[in-house]
Amino acid sequence: MAYSDKVIDHYENPRNVGSLDKDADDVGTGIVGAPACGDVMKLQIRVEDGVIVDARFKTYGCGSAIASSSLVTEWVKGMNVEDAMSIQNAQIAEELSLPPVKIHCSVLAEDAIKAAIRDYQAKHAARAPRSEPVTEAEASK
Amino acid sequence: MIIPDHFALLSLPRQVDIDRDALEARYLELAREFHPDRVVAADGAGQRAAVERSSELNEAYRTLRDPVRRAEYLCKLGGIDLESTDPKQGAPAMGHAFLLDMIERRERLAVARDGGDIEAFRGDVERELSAVTATAIAELRRERIRSAAEQLVARRYLQRLLDEVDAGS
Repeated sequence: MAYSDKVIDHYENPRNVGSLDKDADDVGTGIVGAPACGDVMKLQIRVEDGVIVDARFKTYGCGSAIASSSLVTEWVKGMNVEDAMSIQNAQIAEELSLPPVKIHCSVLAEDAIKAAIRDYQAKHAARAPRSEPVTEAEASK
Repeated sequence: MIIPDHFALLSLPRQVDIDRDALEARYLELAREFHPDRVVAADGAGQRAAVERSSELNEAYRTLRDPVRRAEYLCKLGGIDLESTDPKQGAPAMGHAFLLDMIERRERLAVARDGGDIEAFRGDVERELSAVTATAIAELRRERIRSAAEQLVARRYLQRLLDEVDAGS
């Protein structure tokens, strides 16, 4: 199976590989896995005033999984958290021209960014001062 | 979706422990019987049917003779398809702690490559692979399909990790 030029570019020059301090207050961490193939992906974001200012990933998997997570870290930098939450795997798959058998890699990247945002939100819901009421929907995430 | 019954085709009871000799004997017998060369007299449709039967037989044999593929196939018959991502009927999702461990072990693998003990690292992964496979088979004997499927998914993650160890050495 031939990889698209964009997948090869991200695979050979992955953007934003690395880790952020998962215990830091302003960092959200998402860890997801693909049971069918055993790929694992960690995606982290650092948030300031509701805007994602940094994003890092580590993906152990195929070229499409690496490219999907690399692309997502590029996209979300500078985005506000709500916009990042609405990223859909179809956008990733389209940008990278993923073939049908590799769509699950883009799903993994979507799951990872959502998990990272939820982790960030959960930290802040738990530590929010009483004067800032937490809605039930946020608290249950 | 109709799942082909490999056990019935090869005249074996549907269980995780199989009689290997009986499997081989029955396979060879049917392979001769189904061989497309034996249906020279048949028309085009008959020939195609013979090719199809041969291919089903080979698939059944490949699945049942391999203990891991056999275990995964029994899970599928039991309602859990490891190739599917369906939350109920697909591969069970692993917990956060397991996935975190898989990430952290990649970091330890990098250290092990960089002057650490790569053989010890490989040995640990291989032992765990054997252990989860053995547990999956034991759970299938007790007909605990979901528990067996969880072990088999863990096995896939560990196999992937082992592939990475081997790829870099």
